[in-house]
Formats: sequence, structure tokens, C-alpha cells
Amino acid sequence: MGLFVFVCAAAMVLVGAVGVVTRNNPVHAALSLVLTLFGIAVLFVANNAHFLAAVQVIVYAGAIVVLFLFVIMLLGVDQAEDLSLEPLTVQRPLALVVSIGVTGVIIAAVLKSQDALFARGTGIDSATLQDADANIRQLSRSIFTDYVFAFEVTSVLLLIAVVGTVVMSRRQHGQHVEESV
Amino acid sequence: MFAALFSVFVTAADWVSPSIDYHALAPEIILAGGVVVVLLLDLFTSENNKWMLGPVTSFTLLGSFIPILTLALSDSGTRSLFDGRYVVDNFSLTMKGLFVLAGYLVVLLSSDYLREGDFYEGEYWILMLSSLLGMVMMASSRDLVSIFVSLEFLSIPAYMMAAWRKRDLRSNEAGVKYFLLGVFASALMLYGMSLLYGISNSTLLTDIGKYVSGEMSAVRAVAILFVVVGFAFKISAVPFHTWAPDTYEGAPTPVTAFLSVASKAAGFVALLTVVYVGFPNASEVWQPVFWIFAALTMTVGNVMALRQTNIVRMLAYSSISQGGFILMPLAIAGEGDSAGAALRAVVTYLLVYAATNLGVFAVVIAVSHKTRSGAISSYGGLFSYAPGLAIVMTIFMASLAGIPPLGGWIGKFGSFQALVSAGTTWGYALAVIGAVNTVIAFGYYGNVMREMWMRPVPDGDTTHVVVPSAITVALGLTTFATLLMGILPGLVLHFGDLANLAGAFGG
Repeated sequence: MGLFVFVCAAAMVLVGAVGVVTRNNPVHAALSLVLTLFGIAVLFVANNAHFLAAVQVIVYAGAIVVLFLFVIMLLGVDQAEDLSLEPLTVQRPLALVVSIGVTGVIIAAVLKSQDALFARGTGIDSATLQDADANIRQLSRSIFTDYVFAFEVTSVLLLIAVVGTVVMSRRQHGQHVEESV
Repeated sequence: MFAALFSVFVTAADWVSPSIDYHALAPEIILAGGVVVVLLLDLFTSENNKWMLGPVTSFTLLGSFIPILTLALSDSGTRSLFDGRYVVDNFSLTMKGLFVLAGYLVVLLSSDYLREGDFYEGEYWILMLSSLLGMVMMASSRDLVSIFVSLEFLSIPAYMMAAWRKRDLRSNEAGVKYFLLGVFASALMLYGMSLLYGISNSTLLTDIGKYVSGEMSAVRAVAILFVVVGFAFKISAVPFHTWAPDTYEGAPTPVTAFLSVASKAAGFVALLTVVYVGFPNASEVWQPVFWIFAALTMTVGNVMALRQTNIVRMLAYSSISQGGFILMPLAIAGEGDSAGAALRAVVTYLLVYAATNLGVFAVVIAVSHKTRSGAISSYGGLFSYAPGLAIVMTIFMASLAGIPPLGGWIGKFGSFQALVSAGTTWGYALAVIGAVNTVIAFGYYGNVMREMWMRPVPDGDTTHVVVPSAITVALGLTTFATLLMGILPGLVLHFGDLANLAGAFGG
């Protein structure tokens, strides 16, 4: 059963990821992303991380992809770039060869040294999983003890992102931005 | 419902909040406070009073330098927070000092540029402060989560600063290229980090150091490789340098100075911590990688720099090739007991390079103020009408080329000494490549000097160059530092000696 769930979820993740890259229509690409993110949520459930799975569906598959779709709509779906043009003709075959090579190396490395990747750790404490809030409690403990600095500082990063987005997207008074597209 | 709430409080009773050493975090807290203060001031000041934001930024930077000094002078030694995830040791303090002072110099370079170009000011300072906050954090981060957060923290504001000249298509290109390749590098690095976590089941670098050892399984090698390549983008090592020339040319010149000094130094800091604390027992994997990076970076950077006609583009390739020189000692860092020497060499080089390169950009900003041109030929006859600028530029160029008795010489000397003292064939081979490259570098640094001293003024316009006072101060400080480090090498070597990295090589 565990294997079956994993294979299905992994297939969803991979199909979605390939779809994001290959779809020409940006809306379809964004919807493929939902498939990927949902597959990851299933993988979280399979690993007993129910809270993370819920967050994954609500925040990523829900809110963030909706935002993506908003932006795509604002920019206009029909403004497709002509991707058949390329200045250096060797680029794409070369990229294909390199990416296949890298994928091969990673797969070979992982297969060859499975022993190195073993679950040694505690991860989610399965003894207390019966408690309804076990997931949340364990997560919050590690966020507010060991990782508290990185966690708190991320909030400043969000502020910076807001400031930067406003600056980058806003037009100055009386200023005409060159039409670059 | 009340019963459920009550049970929550009961179980929370065994909660112990982590003890926080606020003195150790003071530089970060002051910088974060500065971000908020500048943001609020920017909101509530009129357009005529925006000039005060620059001084506020520089006071914040100087303010955060105070706790760095008091931490360095306190006797308590290495401070370790959050179970070893955030460490304040002499290495991190030295680098924090470098970041904050480099940030201060960039403020001096930026203030007039921003006003004349009619750019957004407040937001610029906010982004610069936060990028510096990320760098200061990077110097102390000792686990994968904080390293990643610091890396994003220092990169995301930098992406936007590169695109600050919004009306200029080349600046847009600079920002987009930097952003796309930076994100790609982050993704590569995250994949490597996830493998590391899978191997060691810990994000703590010291724990990873225990598991990434012994017989090198393929997956460990792949994990190390991906992490190292991720940082190689940040330090623009060849073949991951393609963003650098376009970004450096398109970005506003003070931002280019910031990227080529502070951002590059932050990449090196991250690389040093990850390699020294995380992979001390895997030197057979990363030594050859660094060897290839160093050799390629020096050579490609130099050869491309020879062909440039634009000064900023030439400086971009020069900064790439300087990165290769800084990388050199890492190629032998795992041999015997040469780890300490390599660390000293890298830190010394970074200090010298920061002072010199910021000085070069100060001159470039001052000269382009008059000539309105980026061409190297526009420096023709600079000595005849701006002798001061020509002399300082000559000092900086000679320092970058490594001519004694200037600062750059000490940096190069340290790198070569570390390579040779390791006593391996590969070390000697790299030293030879480095020596050849030092000679090639004279070509383009000498070219600028020849233009300034021997060529005629291109359009006969010999009006005086008006150097804004802030840039004069920056020029004075960087010239002083470059000369001082060259004449009194003991000073900078002292800082290199101080820079022992806590937990490096299991020590």
C-alpha cells in the first residue's frame, strides 16, 4: 500500500513538473504546478506529516497558484513569446545532452549508494501521533527552538519582498517606461 | 473546549525557551532595526528631506560595527547560539566587520548617484541594509537552514538593486539575468542540501561533517558537488560566471561595486563555512573541483578582460579573475595541515580586494560623472586634468595587479605561499597557472594606466572633474587602506590570523 501511494504521488509530481516546463500556454503550466504541489501533499500524508500536507494544499496549491494565475491574467495570456527563435543553435541540443547526463549521474549515484541514505533520525515522533495536535506541536517546537532565528528573520525577508515588489512594479510620476516587450 | 485549552497549557509547561545571547546578535538586531527605521522615515518624510535617509543608513552601519568591536574585544571567546546553529567566532567577526565597512563605503558611493539619477532613495537604502543583514548572518550561520535563509536574504535585495535604473533596458536585463541564474543556483544548492540532510539526518554542519566522511559514496560526492556549484554562481566562478559581465555593466555603478565586493565576499564566506565545517573529511571531492574552478576562473576572466573596451565590463572580468585567485588556496586546503594557511590566505585576500575594488569603483563613478562614458579610452589624459584621480586609480590598478608594496601584493603573496607550502604537485601546478595569469593581468590593468598617463584627452575637454565630497571620503578611506595593508602587511595578516573558524576540520 505504501509503495502504491508513493508511486502514484511521485507520478503526479513528475507529470506535473514536466507539464510546467513543456506547456506553451502559461495557464496550463500553472495548473500543472497544482498537480505537482498536490502530489507533494500526498507524499507528506504518506509520511504522517498531516499538518504540512494541509498547509501545502492550502498555501501552495491554493493561494500561491491562484496568485500565479492572477499575474498571468494581468500580463495577458495571449502574449506568447516565439520560442522557436534562438541565437545560438547549439544551445538546445547541448542543454538536452547535459540535462540527460546530470539526471543519469544523480540516478546512478542514488541507486549505487542507497545505504548512505537511510532514515536514522527521529523525524516525526510516531509514539505521540495519536494526539490530534502531535504534528503541530513537534513542528512548532523545532521552529521556536533550534530554528527560531532563521524563522524570525524570514519575516523581515517578506517585508523586503513587499518593498521590492512595489518599487519594481510602480511607475514614477510623469515617467514613461519604455515598452520593452 | 476549556478542557482542551487547559490541556494545551499543561503540556506546554515542559517548554523551555531557547536562551538567546543578545550581545552576540546585536549587529543583526541593529541592522534589522535600521531597516525598519529607514522604512518608516521614508514613509513620513517629504521629498525634500529624503537626503537624511543616506546618513541614517550609514549611522546604522557604523552602529552595528560597535557590537562587532565589543564582541571582538570581549574575552568570552566563541559564542554558540541555538545549539550550534549560529556561531560568533573570530572568523565571523572579521567577515562581519568587512561587510559592514564595505556597506558603509557603498553608501558613500551611492548617495550622490541616487540623487542625480532621480532614483528611489529610501527603498534603495532599505534593500542595501537588508542585503548586508543577510551577509552578516551568513558569516555566523552554521546549519543548512540558516545558510539558505541568509543566502536568499542577501540575494533577493541584490536582484532588485541590479535593476534599479528602471528606465534603462540594460539595467532591466541585468536584474532579470541575475535573478534567473541566482534562483537556478539556489535550486541546485537546495537539491544538494536535501541530499546532505538525507545522508546525515541533520541540518547542523558539524553533524554533516561526521557523516560526510570515510569512503566517499557517489551520493555524497553528488551532494557536495551541488552545494559547491550553488555557491560558485554567487562568486561567479567560471563556468558559472555568465551572468556577471551583463549584470555588472547594466546595474547602477554603486550596485556593481556592492555586488563585486560584498556579495562576492559573502559567497566565499558561505563556501568556507560549508567546506571547512561541513565537509572537512571529503577533501578528495572538493579539492579537484576547486582546482578546476580556480584555474578556469583566473584564465577565462583574464583573457576576456583583455578584450574589453568598456571599463565596467573590464572590471567585471577582472573581478571574476580575482575570484579565481581567491579560490586558489582552497584547492589545497585539505592537504595535511594547510587548512589554516588556506583560510588565512582567503580572508586576507578578501580584505585587500574589498578595499581596492571599492576604490576603483569610486574613481569610475567620479570620472563618469564628467565624461558620461564607460569607454576605457575616455580615461585618456586623465592625469593632465585630474591628477589626483589618476594617481589613486594607478594605486588601485597596481594593487589589483599585485605590484608591491600595495595591498594586492599581500593578498597574492598569501595565496601563492599557501599553495607552495602544501608541497603537492597539484599545488605547484596551480601556482604556475596563477603566476602566468598575474602576468596577463598586467595587460589590462596597465592599459588603463597607459591611457591615464600617456594618451591625449579624447575630445580635448580638460575641465576639472568635480568629485562629490562623499566620494572623496570613500576614495581617501580606500586609498589609505590599500596603502596601509601593503606597507604594513602585518596588520592585515593579523586579521587573517584571527580568522580561525570554530569547528573547522573537527577542531
